[in-house]
Amino acid sequence: MILYDYILSPSCYRVRLMAALIGRRLDLRPVDFHPGQEHLSEPMLALNPAGTIPVLQDDGLVLTESTAILTYLAAHDAPAWLGEDTPAMRARVAQWLAFAQRLTDSAGAARAHDMLLAEGEIAALRGQATQALRELEAALSAARRRGEGFLAGNRPTIADIACFPHVALAPDGGLPLDPYPSIRLWMRAIRALDGFIEMPGIHRLHELKPEPGPMPEVIRKEKA
Amino acid sequence: MPTDWTPAALSDDIPAASAAPGQLGPHDLAIWRSASGRIAAWADRCPHRGMRLSHGYVRGERLSCIYHGWGYGEGGQCVRIPAHPELTPPEAIKVPVFRAVEASGVIWVAVEAPEAPPPEFPGFEAFRSLQVKAAPEALAGALGGSGLVVEAALGGATVVALIQPLRDGAVGLHLLAPEALGAAELDALSVAAEALRRRVEEGVTA
Repeated sequence: MILYDYILSPSCYRVRLMAALIGRRLDLRPVDFHPGQEHLSEPMLALNPAGTIPVLQDDGLVLTESTAILTYLAAHDAPAWLGEDTPAMRARVAQWLAFAQRLTDSAGAARAHDMLLAEGEIAALRGQATQALRELEAALSAARRRGEGFLAGNRPTIADIACFPHVALAPDGGLPLDPYPSIRLWMRAIRALDGFIEMPGIHRLHELKPEPGPMPEVIRKEKA
Repeated sequence: MPTDWTPAALSDDIPAASAAPGQLGPHDLAIWRSASGRIAAWADRCPHRGMRLSHGYVRGERLSCIYHGWGYGEGGQCVRIPAHPELTPPEAIKVPVFRAVEASGVIWVAVEAPEAPPPEFPGFEAFRSLQVKAAPEALAGALGGSGLVVEAALGGATVVALIQPLRDGAVGLHLLAPEALGAAELDALSVAAEALRRRVEEGVTA
């Protein structure tokens, strides 16, 4: 599977994170999104006329929506990540995948405005993002009351992976996460998953690794 | 500067071996719980490079900075500098420490220990913390009371609302619910709290 990828893109990170969590190796093709605008180059537009990334190519299949790519990866390699196979749970996952787009269009657009000089009405974007984050906080606090740690039941699904990056990076767009205790605990649970990988701005849980011991003798001597 | 205890977070929101940001008047706090369950509230600033310690990580009884891993223990004392593992950190490298105690599922903080312990609310348990963009008086008034501790009817239940003044025109609303409420009643209370926030914030902008 080939992924046209940009390291600082939360939507691309969704795909890289999902692949890492299920052990799927991706053939990464870096796209110079900023400042090169390579996603708008003729070869990239031929692949995806919408001019967005990520783009996933596999066996003649071309997918250009990150949530569709998550669905494909999970269905291909790890169907448990699609959520429990009941009408209600499948619909809940679909709801959150659509919600993830709201995050992209609000928190993601605020971050693009602040970090990549993208155009946008920043106050309105932050207002929409705050509304979305409050909805997420309310849903996750309700989940906690039921002993569930994730968006669609007791295990992580593509819904969590779709929503996680833009939430975790919201502070880059002037949206502090301090007011959201349930979001903080949910992000901790995702960062604690086996196979979790980082992107710039989202770090792993250091406490899960053993404390690095003293430096080896030989290095200390070299430094001295 | 408040001289009494200030409610800063709910106990359940900061589980063992984790840290969270908080506020006390003009101070930013790193509120953290050690692996053995001890709660602490420190200045949210690493003495090394100024990074927020609430972004840090907890191993055992120490809070470490995410930036260079400097580890701080009892009393905010720096006890480990990973880049100099054999160095005993000087006593001067210390994080300012605030008072922090827990009562009725709430984490209360203060600069200096007030004479009386924080209030208890028998029959109530911690429910949710929300941030509201409003003045403390506006929120208390919308709850039908005044002051920073209000007993109010909300979503068909009687709740205790603890109001925490925050900076930048915001307040923390820490809600305690009656112990016996079921899941559906708590959901209704949550919906009512969100509606209260909308009403209060609309009043502010109107």
